[in-house]
Amino acid sequence: MNRTIDTDTRALRTNRFSAIMNSVGVYAIALLFLLLGMLLQGVGVINNFMTTQNLMNIVDAVALLGIVAAGMAFITYSGHYADMSVPTTIALTGIVSVELLRFGFFFAMAGAILCGILIGLINGIVVGKFKANPIIWTLAMNYVSLGIIRFVWVNKQIYPDVITDNVRAVMLFDNIYRFRLFNVLSLPLILMLILVAAGQFILKRTPYGAQLKLTGSARRTARFTGINVEMIVASAYVISAFTTTVAGLAITSLSRVGAWYNGAGYDFRAVTAIVIGGMTLAGGRGSIVGVLGGTLVIGLMNNIMTLLGIGTFSQDIIRGAIFILVVGINAKTLRSQGRDDA
Amino acid sequence: MHNKPMDKSKLLAIGDRFRIYILFLVIFIFMSLFAPRFFNSYNLTTILRTVSMNATLALGFSVVMICGHLDLSIGRTATFAAVIALLLQKSVGYGLSVPIAIAAGVLVGLVNGLLVVKVKINSFIVTIGTMTILQGATYTMTGGNSVSLSGSNVFAISDFLSRPLLPMLPPRVILTILFVLLFHFFVTHTQWGRNFYLLGGNKMTAWLAGIHTDAVTVSAFILSSTMAAVGGILFAMESSAATLNMGENSLMYVVSATIIGGTAMSGGKGGVLKSVIAILSLEMLYTGTILFGLGNEVKIFISGLILAFVVLYEAYASYKHERTLGQRSELLKEVAMLKARVPK
Repeated sequence: MNRTIDTDTRALRTNRFSAIMNSVGVYAIALLFLLLGMLLQGVGVINNFMTTQNLMNIVDAVALLGIVAAGMAFITYSGHYADMSVPTTIALTGIVSVELLRFGFFFAMAGAILCGILIGLINGIVVGKFKANPIIWTLAMNYVSLGIIRFVWVNKQIYPDVITDNVRAVMLFDNIYRFRLFNVLSLPLILMLILVAAGQFILKRTPYGAQLKLTGSARRTARFTGINVEMIVASAYVISAFTTTVAGLAITSLSRVGAWYNGAGYDFRAVTAIVIGGMTLAGGRGSIVGVLGGTLVIGLMNNIMTLLGIGTFSQDIIRGAIFILVVGINAKTLRSQGRDDA
Repeated sequence: MHNKPMDKSKLLAIGDRFRIYILFLVIFIFMSLFAPRFFNSYNLTTILRTVSMNATLALGFSVVMICGHLDLSIGRTATFAAVIALLLQKSVGYGLSVPIAIAAGVLVGLVNGLLVVKVKINSFIVTIGTMTILQGATYTMTGGNSVSLSGSNVFAISDFLSRPLLPMLPPRVILTILFVLLFHFFVTHTQWGRNFYLLGGNKMTAWLAGIHTDAVTVSAFILSSTMAAVGGILFAMESSAATLNMGENSLMYVVSATIIGGTAMSGGKGGVLKSVIAILSLEMLYTGTILFGLGNEVKIFISGLILAFVVLYEAYASYKHERTLGQRSELLKEVAMLKARVPK
């Protein structure tokens, strides 16, 4: 009898150190990377790290990735690993917005967001209600959107200023990425901060967040407590699709072109940011603030690797290895603490 | 009175079991009748040659899926091995470069398998990671360009592989057919092969039955990566060249074909032969669309739709199965009949 109670408390006890580690630890890692960058510059291996321009570059890259990751974290939190349809959702919503720019700026925004939410809704219904394998389904959805793009826009790249003569709409569209508040805070950064704050609030302070947590950690239990599990999962996908669309608009505005390859790589980078941020792939653990930290780490790491002259391709190797390492360590620690039977 | 509905459901079950063969025949007959220039030996040989890479990949992938896992890294493994075989050929020749490339494939599978069974990470998460690593490695090795070889001995080999030895059957196709038969025999007639099914059906039972589940799982991943490597290498040897996205689309084809073929994502069901027939059916469909004069874009569109449809169908079937789990349809029918008989 005693023994069972023992194991139970061990499973329920919140380890203060790991709790602190979970929320702050990733920022410590980010700080370490920052120090590493400074050190490397001090030694003279790299230069241009501690310049305003470079730090702003890092922040801008982090902002785009952070927007995607903040939404995708909801899917991970709900126990559905990741959204592999992110790359073509970015591309498709970007193309749709450029295409609709001829009817005016706000119409284009609304159309793109509607399109993104539609993708999220389809994902959510299929994964939430019919319990399709989340990775395979979103991968299939990725190919379907890619097919739609290639079918309708046959390899064409569409430019906002070619699509329409409406100078004001084009200017507004260009400014999605380029607008800077007080000449410092870019619009994607502001959007990311708002989304992260909102996400953190929703996950930790609302009934919906609690329901999502229970769904993520024990779906059957959640169902038996009367939570509409299908709705909860579907909503997570819609949230992810929405933030992905926001990122898609910013990325398209950055490159000033709508094309099918616009979002390449964002799926994997977002998942990596999420797991580095302390969110476990098993679901129900972690926070959006942690994910923001994970995004910072990824951004700093990419920047330092690029400054070191490591090619984009070789960076993939390092990113992949770090991803597996972090997931592995995470799974191992949780198991050794008796908090995960996976 | 009871016999009739029983017969019907039996017929449906048989139809579901052999659905892929039926689909194959339907597509084949339809295309032969209606698609221009479909039914001739040149086109059929081309189809056989085209499918041989994906068919080879599907063999190993099906085994992993029968085990209840997923290997998303097959496409990149194929490219990776192909690039290694071609790059090393310049210095050591095929005699040494091909075994090294195959060994690389085995290594990828070993790493995947060990991460899945020892660190206990979900197989598709692991393989997404290795996929990224392999892509990076491939691009780093080639500097982002495709690889091509030239020289009389290289071309002699690719000629040999692609020129029909028997009517309609170039050596590469013959090799693929041999692989298919070998795998089919291995999976259905050997104890190790049948263990895959038991493991996929119920891991606990398999463990209790004394099967070394970890070893079986790792072997499945090794088979998958090895066959992916072999498929990629043969493709590269036949064309004396490798593009960096040659394996990328294979993943989509192989996943759809394996599920169409009846291998369930939950594991324990299906067969390698069915996956190969499904690959063949899909390729005939794609060739048909091209022959009808539709472009490559349509092909990408259709194949995406097919994958989505298949995954949805599979999910819906298991959703329905789960809802009716434990219900006895014949009793429900009797109740309904009794209700109908009761006068209002």
